[in-house]
This record gives sequence, C-alpha cells and structure tokens, in this order.
Amino acid sequence: MNMTTDLIIFAVLFAAFAALSLIRLVKGPTSADRMVAGDAADILVCCAMILFSLYSGRGIYLDIAVICALLGLVDTLLVGRFLEKGRRDR
Amino acid sequence: MALRIVIDALLGLGAFFALTGTLGILRMPDAFSRMQASTCVATLGMLGVAIGGVLYAACVMGSAGAAVKIGVIGLLVLVTNPVGSHAIAKGAYKAGIRPEKPMETDDLGRDSE
Repeated sequence: MNMTTDLIIFAVLFAAFAALSLIRLVKGPTSADRMVAGDAADILVCCAMILFSLYSGRGIYLDIAVICALLGLVDTLLVGRFLEKGRRDR
Repeated sequence: MALRIVIDALLGLGAFFALTGTLGILRMPDAFSRMQASTCVATLGMLGVAIGGVLYAACVMGSAGAAVKIGVIGLLVLVTNPVGSHAIAKGAYKAGIRPEKPMETDDLGRDSE
C-alpha cells in the first residue's frame, strides 16, 4: 500500500463530510443555519482539494484551494452584513 | 516509515474533528450551537490537514512551494474563520434568530438598546 493511497482515502472522506454538511444547507430552517453549513462545506472542500493536490502532484489545485478559502470569507461576511441590515427573508 | 505514521495521525486527527463538526452541524438544535460546532471543523480539522500536508509536501515530495502554499491556506482559514463566525452570529441576532432555550444573559441586547 503506497502512501498516496492514504491521501486519496482522506480526501474522499473529507469530500463525504462536505456532502453530509450540505444536508443542513438544504434543510436548515433559518438562513444563518444555511450559511454556517455552507461555510463548513467550503472549508471541507478546501481540505479535500489540498489532499487531492498532494495525491496527484499538481500544484494548480492548491491555487484553487487558496481562492476557495478567500471567497468563503467574503461570502460569509456578505451574508452576515445582509442579515444585520436588510431583513427580507429569514 | 515514522514520517508516514506521523502524517497519517495528523490527517486522522483532522478527519476526526471534521466528522465531529459535521455531526454537530447536523444534530445540534439551534443556529448558534451549530455555529459552535462548525468552528471545530475550521480550527482543528483544518490545522491537522495543514500540518500533515506541509510535512508531506516538504519531506516526501520535496517541494517547498507546495509546503508554503498549504501553510498559507491553513493560516488564512485559521485567522479569517472567527471573523466570519462573528459576522454571522451578530447578523443572526439582529435578524431575530434566538437560541432554543431562553438566554441567561443578553449583553448584546442590553448594549444595543
């Protein structure tokens, strides 16, 4: 069993956790629930992308993971501001 | 071989905390408890993966660029996640979402009166 096998096993595990947290994104009663689940799924996909980049040996997935983490912060702040100021939909 | 055990232990720690946070997001009763559980994913889960990835990239692959990038991602998520969680918590409070049980102390409500 090679060492890259461990990496791809953990990457699939993290992707499965991201898919699990998407259940709360669909079900969540309030929009804060949806945003929390989306944030967690974002970070889990970022972890899976790091592990897949190490598995495949291609650096481009790391760049995508950096962008993913940055955009995760931006959309969390955006939805937070929206919840605070304009209240149209809970 | 010892390096492999260390990296696998770090990745396993990260996966354990990611599983805990995901189960917390699915099972907790209200939005603020779910927020608390999702912090577990962002801090310890990401930290385990980042440290394990840095060790793998530096010692097994021998590429310093990948190690630095993974370190930057880990640091970025670790620093920026509390900011986002705070914004979501304040926005949820202002939007009228309350915890399931009545609150013992309500400092934000007292201060914003």
